[in-house]
Amino acid sequence: MSSERRYTPTHEWIQSVGDPFRMRVGITDFAQKEITDVVFVELPKIGKKVPRGAEAAIIESVKAAFSIYAPMGGEIVGINSAIESNPALVNADPYGAGWLFELKVDNASEWSSLLDENGYRAHLSSGSVGGH
Amino acid sequence: MALPLAPYHLQRAAKMTDFHGYFLPLAFTSILEEAKAVREKAGLFDISHMGHFLAKGPDVRRHLNGLITSDLEAVPVGKCLYALLPNDRGGTVDDLILAASGPDEVHIIVNAGNRTGDFAWLRNHLPNAISLEDLSSGQIGLALQGPSSPQIASLLGGGFEGMKRREARFSMGPVSQVWISRTGYTGEDGWEFFGPEEAILPVYRILSERGADYGLLQAGLGARDLLRLEMGYPLYGQELTPEKTAFDAGLDFAVNLRKGSFLGKDKMLEKREEAGRERLTGFVLLERGIPRTHCPVLDPSTGLQVGEVTSGAHSPRVGGGFGLAYMDPVFLREFEQGKEAGIEIHGKTHRARIHDRPFWAGGLSEKK
Repeated sequence: MSSERRYTPTHEWIQSVGDPFRMRVGITDFAQKEITDVVFVELPKIGKKVPRGAEAAIIESVKAAFSIYAPMGGEIVGINSAIESNPALVNADPYGAGWLFELKVDNASEWSSLLDENGYRAHLSSGSVGGH
Repeated sequence: MALPLAPYHLQRAAKMTDFHGYFLPLAFTSILEEAKAVREKAGLFDISHMGHFLAKGPDVRRHLNGLITSDLEAVPVGKCLYALLPNDRGGTVDDLILAASGPDEVHIIVNAGNRTGDFAWLRNHLPNAISLEDLSSGQIGLALQGPSSPQIASLLGGGFEGMKRREARFSMGPVSQVWISRTGYTGEDGWEFFGPEEAILPVYRILSERGADYGLLQAGLGARDLLRLEMGYPLYGQELTPEKTAFDAGLDFAVNLRKGSFLGKDKMLEKREEAGRERLTGFVLLERGIPRTHCPVLDPSTGLQVGEVTSGAHSPRVGGGFGLAYMDPVFLREFEQGKEAGIEIHGKTHRARIHDRPFWAGGLSEKK
């Protein structure tokens, strides 16, 4: 495990924030463009346990509501309260200030099955883009 | 189906969507920014998907009057009329805009999803002496909307800025069988243009190239839906259906009961008297959330479902989530007296209160 950013086929990203078990989650640039104008984000409660692949947050855009799934299983240990007052951050800076929540992951080995940068690019160009 | 302007939209990297089988822009940049531009300056919409019919023949206005809810014979040539086309059960085939282009010819603008059905309905119910032509194929439809529309329309050099509200014209230079009206679906001043490419493509070119100087943005269906909902305007398939009457949808203004009889009138009146008839009402959320079509409406005292959302959105002008819903009449009476309703969104109940339509009082609805 490193500070490398990894991806899911449903367009979430996950990245360590220093502590190898503490991972930050957000949506990809592709996802924010698809979702368009984020109006608000329904964030999970701190302390909530989320299995891998479970719905962890909901992004409401002008267009529709989008479920955000946990890329790895774990406990919610942090949420980005800045996006509650300024949801447009998700559109403006999806890999930075627009992050969604932080997980204390249960099983670090789940990391290896996520898509790396090249794998996610290949997924986008394959046209089989589902999820959002 | 690709429409004539699709290549231009793709060049501008518009986000495209399928709407009743037509490939149209959902948004060019941001739905919220496009809607704001229409409220404050101007927006340009591709509405080529809408149907455009021409009915011709002796007494065509009288014959059409026997099929629609409002009074076409009371409206002079060159003036637009909004009407519903009821079915024989009193429900709704479609909502339309009509305008006579002469004593014996009427242009009709219909919804994209109903184009085939409307044509068949009208053809079956008009006498053979009336010809009915579908002019939609290959045509371009444009809506220029917003307070800066008159200045922008003057760029076209056709003297359109001198038209009165709801006035319609039917030729452009040498091209006849076009539709140009000072109307719209956003609650703002503006124009709608329908016609063959040779007449309307130059209009698109001028508006899209020079409109930006006046703050015009190209806008997609996302902004169009938000703007019409802020005005409380119905959308066929959501507020209007084969089961719902004009009265159910609160469109009583579009029903003229004093004119001669029209198809479906008796059934509409019968339905109006039904005790359990659901009626459309506007609501705003008191909590953060965005209501969407089909969200259940609950009575907070019983937890029982008393209605369903037909359209919902979020608007900075309304101040949050809002929408339209059909509600059970017993509950609706309490809701009208100030009782809150629950709108279920993602399994959670959100508090809502009644709201008058339009939701946003500006543009043409502004009290001046």
